[in-house]
Amino acid sequence: MSNSESDERSRAIIDGIEAIDPRYVLHLPSSTLVKIIDHVNARANTVAFPIPREEEGVGILAGLELAGARAIAIVQDNGIGNLLTALTTFPVAYHIPQFYIVSQRGGLGEYNSMIHVICEKVEPILDAADVRYFKLDGRVPMEQWTPTVTKAYEYSRLTHRPVMLLVNLMGG
Amino acid sequence: MGELNRMEALRLIDEIFPDDPVVVNVGAAIREMVAAVGAKPNHLHILDSMGLPPAIGLGLSLGLAESRFNKVVTVEGDGGLLMGFSALSTIGMLKPEKMVLVILDNGTYGSTGGQPTAAACTDFVGVARACGMEAHDVEGGDDLRRALEQAKEVRTPLLIRARIGPKTEKTDYFLHDPAILADTFRRYLKRTG
Repeated sequence: MSNSESDERSRAIIDGIEAIDPRYVLHLPSSTLVKIIDHVNARANTVAFPIPREEEGVGILAGLELAGARAIAIVQDNGIGNLLTALTTFPVAYHIPQFYIVSQRGGLGEYNSMIHVICEKVEPILDAADVRYFKLDGRVPMEQWTPTVTKAYEYSRLTHRPVMLLVNLMGG
Repeated sequence: MGELNRMEALRLIDEIFPDDPVVVNVGAAIREMVAAVGAKPNHLHILDSMGLPPAIGLGLSLGLAESRFNKVVTVEGDGGLLMGFSALSTIGMLKPEKMVLVILDNGTYGSTGGQPTAAACTDFVGVARACGMEAHDVEGGDDLRRALEQAKEVRTPLLIRARIGPKTEKTDYFLHDPAILADTFRRYLKRTG
């Protein structure tokens, strides 16, 4: 995948975040999400901050939601295993909407020889945990990327539960 | 000075913060809080997410920064704090002015049979200060009352480590639907905050 294609996908996600207009953005480090994280860190009227672990983000995001604040989290799929207990015992059980943009790794275009071991299993893990997710990858026309970001966010509110959007920024 | 037990400490927290949001940590602490003061709408009961209350309290403190609530109180145990320890660093970084984190430290995992935690060799107050929080050690009911009263005037995130005895009160199970617990709490925040 060329840099310009990757940039186009990142730009579409950024446009979706702009439409959501979050007051708070929580993020974990990710080389594939770096343009998106840089954007939210520079965004006016947004408090963007790093979280050290995924489950801590689940708790902070839930508190923000209960307080009525617009908030999203940006994470990578190799950390999904860290957050499952926190996610299922709190926001899922308590019907608290949350929205996660999740970078998908471990497919076509991957450069890491190990990361696929967890990343290729993320979808069956989420299915088994009954966590709703949507996907953006090379099979989805570019014009649908930005609307899907906003629709997935709204769907989390409509269905009173966490929703994840798995985004492939690497070529798959 | 008599040893403070957990139910007395919980009753004190409710007495001094009767209307502000209070996050109550898992297991026996919830049951004792409910037995002591009832299931109040300003209390968010975290039924089974051990280690998560400080992070939840942080999110609430940020989101309620402009509300009429003076403080957002989070009750956590020593075992729970150790499980979610990284939150202290994030709290220190973001410095939510309304956040009060009360650690009821009995040195054990009290809800699961009293197994010892590593709290005895961990300086929670030192860690919290190093992370950028204000923090105090207290022992006994009078000390805790004084620290909680003073917390009302503090304008920086505050950790209070209250050493309590290991006694656990016999209480009924608290089996409310978590979706209703969250909705009741959310409506309280919206109506009152």
